[in-house]
Amino acid sequence: MDSTEVMDVELTVNGKRYKRRVEPRLLLADYLRHEIGLKGTHIGCAHGVCGACTVQINGESARSCLHFAVDVQGCEIRTVEDMATPEALHPIQQAFHECHALQCGFCTPGILMTAEEFLRTNPDPSEEEIRTALSNNLCRCTGYVNIVKAISVAATRLQQHKN
Amino acid sequence: MTSHESSKFIGRSMARREDRYLLRGQGQYVDDIAEPAGTLHLAFVMSPHAHARIVSIDTSEALRVPGVVAVLTGEDFASLVAPIRADIEMPTYKHTDRDVLAREKVRFVGEQVAVVLAENKYAAQDAIELVYVDYDILPAVVALEDARRPDAPLVHDHIDNNIIFQGEFSTPDFAEKHAGSKFVIREKIRHGRLAGVPMEPRGCLAVPDRGDSLVFYTATQIPHIVRTGLATHLGLEESCIRVVVPEVGGGFGTKAQLYPEELIAAALCMKHRRPIKWVQDRREELLTNIHARDHLYDLEIGFDANGIVTSLKLEFATNAGAYSSYPFGATLETTGGARMIIGPYKIQNYAYKNYCLTTHTGPAGVYRGVAQPSCFLAIEALMDRIGRKLGIDPLEVRLRNVVTPSDMPWTNVLGVRYDTGDYPACLKRAREVSGYDNFRRAQRADRLETGKYRGIGISNMTEITGTGAPGWRVRGLRSVSGVDSATLRIDPTGKVTVYVSHASAGQGHLTTFAQIAADYLGARIEDVRVIEGDTGSTPFGTGTFASRSAVTGGGAVICAAQKVGDKIRRIAADMLQADAQDISLCEGKAVVAHDPGRFASFQDVAEIAYSIGNGVLPEGEEFGLEASEFYDPPVVTVANAVHIVEVAVDARDGRVSIENYCIVHDCGRVINPMIVDGQIHGGVAQGIGEVLMEEMVYDENGQLVNASLLDYLLPTAMDVPNLQIHHMESPTIDTTGGFKGVGEGGVIGAVPAVANAIADALSGIGANVNSVPLRPAHLLSLIRNAVREEGRAAIEESAY
Repeated sequence: MDSTEVMDVELTVNGKRYKRRVEPRLLLADYLRHEIGLKGTHIGCAHGVCGACTVQINGESARSCLHFAVDVQGCEIRTVEDMATPEALHPIQQAFHECHALQCGFCTPGILMTAEEFLRTNPDPSEEEIRTALSNNLCRCTGYVNIVKAISVAATRLQQHKN
Repeated sequence: MTSHESSKFIGRSMARREDRYLLRGQGQYVDDIAEPAGTLHLAFVMSPHAHARIVSIDTSEALRVPGVVAVLTGEDFASLVAPIRADIEMPTYKHTDRDVLAREKVRFVGEQVAVVLAENKYAAQDAIELVYVDYDILPAVVALEDARRPDAPLVHDHIDNNIIFQGEFSTPDFAEKHAGSKFVIREKIRHGRLAGVPMEPRGCLAVPDRGDSLVFYTATQIPHIVRTGLATHLGLEESCIRVVVPEVGGGFGTKAQLYPEELIAAALCMKHRRPIKWVQDRREELLTNIHARDHLYDLEIGFDANGIVTSLKLEFATNAGAYSSYPFGATLETTGGARMIIGPYKIQNYAYKNYCLTTHTGPAGVYRGVAQPSCFLAIEALMDRIGRKLGIDPLEVRLRNVVTPSDMPWTNVLGVRYDTGDYPACLKRAREVSGYDNFRRAQRADRLETGKYRGIGISNMTEITGTGAPGWRVRGLRSVSGVDSATLRIDPTGKVTVYVSHASAGQGHLTTFAQIAADYLGARIEDVRVIEGDTGSTPFGTGTFASRSAVTGGGAVICAAQKVGDKIRRIAADMLQADAQDISLCEGKAVVAHDPGRFASFQDVAEIAYSIGNGVLPEGEEFGLEASEFYDPPVVTVANAVHIVEVAVDARDGRVSIENYCIVHDCGRVINPMIVDGQIHGGVAQGIGEVLMEEMVYDENGQLVNASLLDYLLPTAMDVPNLQIHHMESPTIDTTGGFKGVGEGGVIGAVPAVANAIADALSGIGANVNSVPLRPAHLLSLIRNAVREEGRAAIEESAY
């Protein structure tokens, strides 16, 4: 084992460029959390099942615990920290707030990342489609009932925004 | 005004304060706290064997990994940390002292045998692979059913027959009464082993503080008990330990324990005076966090021709795993299952024997519902069987046996008092809103329709909540106080801070306790801030588990608010030259009744109380504007609910889908309906998981074969249906505030309801469903054993 080897990894995260010298085995999740201090992305299982660490890589949701940082060299990464402005929550976040779609909040950033991509690609989803998309992410507190509702409410609002 | 009559905030679905930062990804969970410079990271070497003697441990190669500072074993901690022992006072109870790192022997797969300290977590992980432990493997006992066999290996040499404790109880002349029952059904109900599996694994960060003190950040539900536990096991004064609970990513009881890693981190921090951090991974979480259930009920129920239960006899065993845990010991599942099974029923002749057994498996402990999902699985399965035997609808059987409002307050044969509730009305309401009668009318005798067996299940349950000090004493737990407390302080600017002894893991306490405080103080809710989960600022209390917070914390907040409110009235009366009893508190002002122009703001009053400005305290009044109140609720407070569930079991692959789910719930006075519904949703989802998929699977050697989330299945959004929830409100008359707990009701109701619905679906083919989980392979084998050749043809025909 040689853990002394390091590489420069350059990423764009939430529109900002970062360059860090890291071990090739450093997970993207750890790069985000520990190298650049964005701790909204959580690690729930580190084997790609729970979805708490979901971020967007070039606009597509992905598990940051299943990617090494070097694998996404040069990519555009988006995390939960990029959704709200200091003044206002993103419409999906606002719907989560109103519908009580989070309890402990640990899985929430990953679910928001999944939901944002989902509603971008499927702006007018059925409940079944929402549930299918959500089945990528585990939540142990809410039973998903209010998450499904919140995504549906957010979809309607985002559509109204557009029109 | 007592402010009780005017609930401005209690009863409203106020959106949560916690959401604003959690949604932005700004929640600080233990792994998110900025690591102080010089932090050392821990990683643990875990035993790969269920039972083995440790021959030797070679740490030399691990020590050569760059960044590794030390590798320590059990012997290194022998003088630093006392073995973990819960303070249990029960006849026959035998302690299972646990060294924080195993010495001499390991007793379950995952037991920690060595710890690495390193400059970063990757180095620590590298090094644990290089610690070589030589084991002498010994035979293991794994299954509950095997633990008491004469030839079973002993888990602890001093515990004969692997019985940690046993108990028994009988109402007078039980044998005679039972023998006199007209009908008797005997059944065994087996509940598998599972776990809470919060999305956030456990972790802690111990930071040296001024002098010889320590700030201990840990993901726990019981900060004050952890502080006492750290102090007693480490030989420290409590005054040098401050336990801080950051955001906690779900607890469900798994974080209501003091674990060895916490003691090790604190001990190393005190020894090295360096920050020590540990966050477990998912495999460790599944192997070492407390497991739950793993129960066997052997029941005989006697009843008459009308379906009225005349006697109940229970022999009950639970699998405690290798060690009892702190602070509950191994008691709660075993005593709970035997004591709570009577539930809402008027059962007057009851006898039980219960056994708590130790095996070479992960330690078991308190998981949401504790024994109640399983004891209601048992009693509700029997109610259905009485109905089937006599040809009486199972809902009707329940109606004939429940405690009625005219019986209230009711004390059952075990001495548990039920003060309020309308169980028949709850059943009838559930029958109506679920369309139960229509379903039954349309249901075919063989239950088969379009290739699926369709069934409906009922669960009629009570939930023991808000257990106070007498309740814990009855169960022999010395170190679980039972009381909780609140300090309510009005600051010099008139704003309100409420310090509560609880620690939320997602229940929304910052919102609900503010609702209570604002109502009972007459404050503006935006002026109220709630602080909890910090032994440095909050008064002592028991913590957040077993559906306690609303009852015990809510009661304490009310008492403190009333005391401060009285003082505000006295000072304001003096300022306004009125009678204190004529002053009402509203929107942060003390107003003279019938003269709203005469008022003093809380700030005006606070300035006098703190001697700011020229105002003078009334004679006899002391400085300050705060109160600390402890609240000790009665033995228990009993909530109740009825769940009615429709399922379809695919006759060809055994898969279950839930087609309709209705709940009528009564948790007394509701503080925040939206949060209450959320608690029920989450509990039901866990109950669905418990029946349809979740199980910790040990092989005969004691290997946990599914220690990953790929193999230990949790319910997804595809598994949990929309839930129809209706509320009845029967405020308790025994507690301050009228609240009953709600945290566990969802899972307690769901397990029997879903299981009974499946049992009903398969009753047409004569299959006997008497265990959970009910995974597709198991159900398919039940179907195949029950259905002969021609029946299979009928399934195929029905499917098309």
